[in-house]
This record gives sequence, structure tokens and C-alpha cells, in this order.
Amino acid sequence: MTLLEVVELTKRFGGIIAVNNVSFKIEKGEIVGLIGPNGSGKTTLVNLISGYYKPDGRRIIFEERDITNLPPEKRAKLGISRTFQNPRVVESMTALLNVAYAILGTRGEKMSLAEAGAEAMYYLEIFDLLKKRDTLAKDLAIYELRLLELARALATEPKLLMIDEAMAGLNPAEADNVVRVIERIREEFDLTIIWIEHVLRVLMRSVERVLVMDEGRLIADGPPEEVTNKPEVIEAYIGAEEEV
Amino acid sequence: MVRIETRRGRLIIDDLFGKRYEWTVEPRYWRNPIIAFLAWLVMPLVVYGVYTSAFGVVPVALLSTLVFANVLSMMTLSLGFQSIGTGRLNFGPHFFLALGGYTAALLNVNYGLNPAITLIAAFAIGAIVGLGLSPITIISRGVYFVLFTLILPLVLYQVAYWRSDIFGAETGIPGVDALFLTGDLILDLFLFLYTSLAIATIIMLIYDKVLRSKYGLLMGAVNEDEELARMYGVNAPFIKVVIFTFTSGAMAVAGWFLAHYQGSFAGPAWLTPEMLALILLTSTLAGKGAIYGQVIAAYIIVILREVLRSTSGELGLAALYIIMLVLLFVLPEGFWGLYRKRRYREYYPTIKVRKREVL
Repeated sequence: MTLLEVVELTKRFGGIIAVNNVSFKIEKGEIVGLIGPNGSGKTTLVNLISGYYKPDGRRIIFEERDITNLPPEKRAKLGISRTFQNPRVVESMTALLNVAYAILGTRGEKMSLAEAGAEAMYYLEIFDLLKKRDTLAKDLAIYELRLLELARALATEPKLLMIDEAMAGLNPAEADNVVRVIERIREEFDLTIIWIEHVLRVLMRSVERVLVMDEGRLIADGPPEEVTNKPEVIEAYIGAEEEV
Repeated sequence: MVRIETRRGRLIIDDLFGKRYEWTVEPRYWRNPIIAFLAWLVMPLVVYGVYTSAFGVVPVALLSTLVFANVLSMMTLSLGFQSIGTGRLNFGPHFFLALGGYTAALLNVNYGLNPAITLIAAFAIGAIVGLGLSPITIISRGVYFVLFTLILPLVLYQVAYWRSDIFGAETGIPGVDALFLTGDLILDLFLFLYTSLAIATIIMLIYDKVLRSKYGLLMGAVNEDEELARMYGVNAPFIKVVIFTFTSGAMAVAGWFLAHYQGSFAGPAWLTPEMLALILLTSTLAGKGAIYGQVIAAYIIVILREVLRSTSGELGLAALYIIMLVLLFVLPEGFWGLYRKRRYREYYPTIKVRKREVL
């Protein structure tokens, strides 16, 4: 069953086309890597799907529903959640409150603050952050912030989770742990994941399918081993050979 | 044998009729809101008693000053709450005060409606106008929001002169029924004082209750990072519209009180830059998101203003503004920050986590 369908999506910033006529489908339960050089439009694409930006052209279908013009809060309630390239949390809130407000925001109509707090602790426990529940987010280390972002995103009970560079700024041991956690939550929570990552070695091991973007266009779509051998992908990463 | 000792900020009385009693001595663990509220209730009576016995005259001006402190509290409580829920600082709160004052005065004088009805009408008009203007909290921010809200009082100010046949320009609308007219000046003053105190208390308790609930957490999220909050399902536009609408109505209630307190209402007296400065400085010096701090700041500033004005005239007022400017730098977290230094962001509710007992 198709969970997400992006149809000829385009986003312009002035004269720059950040996302150019991009189309793809993601099936329920898939874990898809989204790669490409810096400035290729990966984060803009995630911003468009999550509703942070409005597209300039065509549409986004989620669970057979056109969500192109839906505001971000409604998309979150439908089950689209994300993390940010640079951890973005409410610094003056504790780790617990950061997760609790996301729970209340997405499904808190009939939930009390205490109930949201109890649920938030459950999600903090999954990411081994329970002992940091009363720590202000601004006092957390980058590794803990990455986990907190994942906990907050997961707490919204998403169907589609978009992870934007969860390993940036982490040492190899921390990065490995984040990968393990992501693989674990994917299985336990039956998630569909779009995962942007620069650490290709790790990403290729974890995903079943890779989308490659370059200069706003989707240039490859397929299994990791197949995609990495494509000349246009190699060219995008290394550059074209020039005759001297 | 009875043993009395102080340990870890606690007073311990042991073996008193075979029992052990402990009380927390450290002030920050006391039930401070209750103590503060009782002090607030008793203060006017103490001021009256001390002043009368010391100087032999009735402190009419001082009691009027306390009434004004309560009116200012109504305004700054609403402004502070509005700032948390919308993430924007309104530069036209006195516009809504004037709106409420004019509504009450016009309905009372022209149609003979009693203060109970004009109270409802003033709140309703303030809320309806607030609802009409609330989209500005969604579509504008920064200097555009500031300019928009700054201009509103100026428009009403000019309208008050343009249609002086209706609004009475600087003379205002006289002949508004007073809330209390017993014939005893001091009794009336106390009735006005405690009525204004009751209104400020009701407003404070409503805002405090909301901020301590899940809605307070959502408001805090909107205040800190609106875009982020929306990404996690928080309906920020709806929250902002509701908060702006309700607080606009509450600000209009302050105008309603003034009209029925003074027996007239003259918008130009309240739609001044000085009134705006007083509200904004009080709200800022209260401390960010500090609901109780709004009342404390209002009392400190209004009393200081009266003392300086009565002792040094215009020079005293200039000194007041300089003092407040200095305080902005010296007390970046406001008066409330002095009291709750460790956790000054009071507007986030607390989720109590019970620790597992060790068996």
C-alpha cells in the first residue's frame, strides 16, 4: 500500500529551484534513504512533506489524501513527523516537557497533562533519556539532543517518520547507537522512514531503497547497491571527468 | 524530653507528647501564594490604619493609588498572558481599555444600562474587536505587529476628537453611574479598592489555572518556537486567536471599571504614550511569563510613581522612567526573577514525577 506519493513537486526560492519536478512513491513499512550532495534539496523536500514550506507546484498525497495545502499541524495529526538537521528543541523546557507538548499537540484532545507526562516518560525510556527528564534541553549534549528529537517525533505516533541527519556531529560509537535505535523503533512501531544521511556507509547498511537528489532533481531511485553504481550518482558526488 | 532543633531548613520538635513535628523554615517552600494573597488583601487596611494614626488624615490619594495599581494589574496580567499565548508583544493594550470604558459609559449614559450589563457588554465588545483583529497575530510579527498595535490607540484617540459629540474628546462622557455611592467617601474608596482587587484576582487565577494546565504547555511551546510547535501538531493559529480574543475582553473590563469608578470616561486620558509605557514597563519588569509578578510589579511601580510625583513633580516622573530603564538592565528577569531565580520561567506547567520508593 502506498503511504506517500510525491507528484512533480517543485519549490523555488527566488531564482533558485530547490526542488525540481520530483516524483516518487513510498510504500508502507519501507525504510528509504534520501541522499545527495550538499544543497541538493533533500531538507527542502522534507520541509515540503512536513508542511514547513508550501510547494510552488503539483502535489503531495498521504494515505490517498491530497495534503498539499494542509498546514503542518494537521499533517502531524495525520501521522507525519520529523527531526531536524540541527536539533531544534524548546531549550528552556525540560526533556520531559519537550516530548509532552508533542504528545498533547498531536493527540492530546482527551489527555491530561499528567497522562501526557506519563507517556512522555515511556518514550524517553525507549531512548534511554529517562534520567534526563528534568534536565533543560539547553543543557543536553548533542547526542542526547538527537535522541530527544527522535523521542519527540516518535511520541506523536507517526506513520511516516522523516529523519534529517541524525548522526551529524556524533562520534562513531554514538552514531552506531543511533542507528541501532532507529532500526529498533522501526520494527517495534511499524514505521515508514525517510532517512536523510551523509554517512553513507551506515545508511546503505540500514535502508532498503535509496533516493538520490542532485540540484533539486531526483536522479536515482532503487536498492542501495544498484544506485551507488549509477554513473549519474557517482558524478553528482565526485564530479564529472574532464579531459585535460 | 522535648528536643528542638533546626536541620536542613526544617524546624524539628521531637518527643512532644510522644510525637515528632517538622516544619519547613526555608521561605521558598512555604505556601507563598496564599501568604502573598493574604498580604495583598490586608495591605490596604494596614496602610489606612498606619497612615491615619501617624498623620491624622485619611490617605485618600494613597487609596486611589492602590486602586490604580489594581487597574494596572488587570492590564499587565492580560498583556503578559497574551504575550505568552501569541508570542507577540501588543503595543496597544490601552486601546482595549478605552474600548471597554467607552462601551460602559455610552451604554450607561445613553441607554441607562446598569453596570452588570455594561460589564458583559464591555467584555463582549473587547473580545469581538479582539477576535476581529486576531488574524494579525498570525499574519504579522516583529515590527509590523508592533506598528499595527501601536496605531490602534492613535486611531481611537483621533476618533474621540472627530466625534466629540459622541465621545466627548478630552472631557469624556460624564454622568456614568458609579459602582458604589454610599455617601461615605472612605467606604466607597474601600469598596472600589476591593472590587478592583477582586477583578484582578479573578483574572490572575484564570490565567494561572490555564498556564498550569496542558494548554499552558502548548502556549509555552508556541511562545518559544511557533513553527516547531506546529510541526508537532500544536494548532498555534487557533491558540493565538483564542488568547488574543479573551485577553482583549479582559483588558476592556479594566476600562469598564474605570468608567464606573470615575463616573465618566475620557479616552484621551488613557490613550497616551505614558499609559502605554507604564503598562509595557510594568509587564516587562514583572518577569517573563510571571503572572504573580505582574501584580507585584504594578504595585511597586505605581506606588513609586506616586511617591516621586508627589515629592518632585515632573522631575520625579523623569526619575521614575530612568529608574525603570536601569531596572530593565539590572533585573533582566524582572521582579519575579528575584524571587524565583532558579526557575523563573513560571509559565510552563510542572509535571510531577513520583520517584520510586526504596523498599
